[in-house]
Amino acid sequence: MLEGAEFYFNVDHGYLEGLVRGCKASLLTQQDYINLVQCETLEDVKIHLQTTDYGNFLANETNPLTVSKIDTEMRKKLCREFEYFRNHSLEPLSTFFTYMTCSYMIDNVILLMNAALQKKSVKEILVKCHPLGRFTEMEAVNIAETPSDLFNAVLVETPLAPFFQDCMSENTLDELNIELLRNKLYKSYLEAFYKFCKNHGDVTAEIMCPILEFEADRRAFIITLNSFGTELSKDDRETLYPTCGKLYPEGLRLLAQAEDFDQMRRVAEHYGVYKPLFEAVGDGSGGKTLEDVFYEHEVQMNVLAFNRQFHYGVFYAYTKLKEQEMRNIVWIAECISQRHRTKINSYIPIL
Amino acid sequence: MAAQGLRAQVDSLLLQLLRDLEELEAKRAALNARVEEGWFSLSKARYAMGAKSVGPLQYASRMEPQVCVYTSEAQDGLQKVWVVRASAQTPEEVGPREAALRRRKGLSRTPEPESSPAPRDPLNWFGILVPHSLRHAQASFREGLQLAADMASLQIRIDWGQSQLRGLQEKLKQLEPEST
Repeated sequence: MLEGAEFYFNVDHGYLEGLVRGCKASLLTQQDYINLVQCETLEDVKIHLQTTDYGNFLANETNPLTVSKIDTEMRKKLCREFEYFRNHSLEPLSTFFTYMTCSYMIDNVILLMNAALQKKSVKEILVKCHPLGRFTEMEAVNIAETPSDLFNAVLVETPLAPFFQDCMSENTLDELNIELLRNKLYKSYLEAFYKFCKNHGDVTAEIMCPILEFEADRRAFIITLNSFGTELSKDDRETLYPTCGKLYPEGLRLLAQAEDFDQMRRVAEHYGVYKPLFEAVGDGSGGKTLEDVFYEHEVQMNVLAFNRQFHYGVFYAYTKLKEQEMRNIVWIAECISQRHRTKINSYIPIL
Repeated sequence: MAAQGLRAQVDSLLLQLLRDLEELEAKRAALNARVEEGWFSLSKARYAMGAKSVGPLQYASRMEPQVCVYTSEAQDGLQKVWVVRASAQTPEEVGPREAALRRRKGLSRTPEPESSPAPRDPLNWFGILVPHSLRHAQASFREGLQLAADMASLQIRIDWGQSQLRGLQEKLKQLEPEST
């Protein structure tokens, strides 16, 4: 790809970039969060959100208002914006958007397979799937017994098909295997997305590649942390780590051998980016968890993406920032509804 | 005198009742704290995993209980309540069965007796790699279960103590009608 995106980016994508920057300006500010934190009930939260860009999005909700309903409506709003961007996009931005939706598709596939394991009805789960990850073959997912079945019968026509290379096996889909499948699919997806951005080159690669490298390393750390004390073996664990991050290859090998949090921390100390993150983790129930620290770092990177023009990273960054905003609002709403206000200020301010 | 003995009994019963009430209050406060902690840890798990990943979508409407409640009569006629994990089977029959297997070592292996499959850990409804906040939530709720059983036993004892007290006070009134 020729360098010099500033010469021709606006021809195809200028309108959408302008639009997404407008949407980004309407994210909640610190003052909005302060107002939300002072609410006493979920009805107050609804009233405060009416003064923001969310407007009357909860107007049609019947009483009583629950946190889950707020989350569903926020998600629908994000989905409407995303679909608008996607419908007006041209190549290669459309492929970029398709890559973005693949992660939600993977979540939906896993949700449907778990539902099949629990013998739930497909119809009720289909309604609850993530709207950004909808694809036409979704209803047929529950008939598959093994990953090869799943691929051959259902997913071969979807964008998820290329990610199935490492996942084809004849094992029946029980809980452990579904978890392994989820992580392997996500690993292939992340590596493919990284390659796409890198091949695109230009400002997009400069912005998106560090973000995706961080995402890969974050997944490696979180998988390791959550696998302590489970039946997942170290070799299995190593096959789940995405290889497009800074930790590849030595860090991932060391991480696969880690057996507790301190060993993980020692691996992170070899990397200048991750050492300060691990130092910010509080111990026990007092301070921040590792996930909080990673979310903060992700928000910083996404906000910085808006400092450059003429790249696709603004769309990715906007979607991720909007999701963080949704997480913040859901957290504040849960603290209010459970009347447990000690940690209500643990949200991550964006603007 | 009979009245003196009765009064002593009333006193000791009252003291026991007050002790039980204090213990019940302490246990109730602990149970509330555990349940609050559990729900809060669930919120933290939702923050880490996604709001729809920890909720009714993940579990079936029919589920096998992991913990059962048993009651029994103690010697003073009071009912005692306690909780038992479903997988805790008494291993008494293993000994003789093993010996039987050993004796028949040369022959074809006897099929092992059908044991009920261990109930799945509800934590695995949400995946194998779950955040620690979800594990904390499970631990908090489990502690709360034992507390709830203790509270039930205490409540039964308190009710019985109250009725005993009322009975004794009636008797006392009958014995000394002029002192009321």
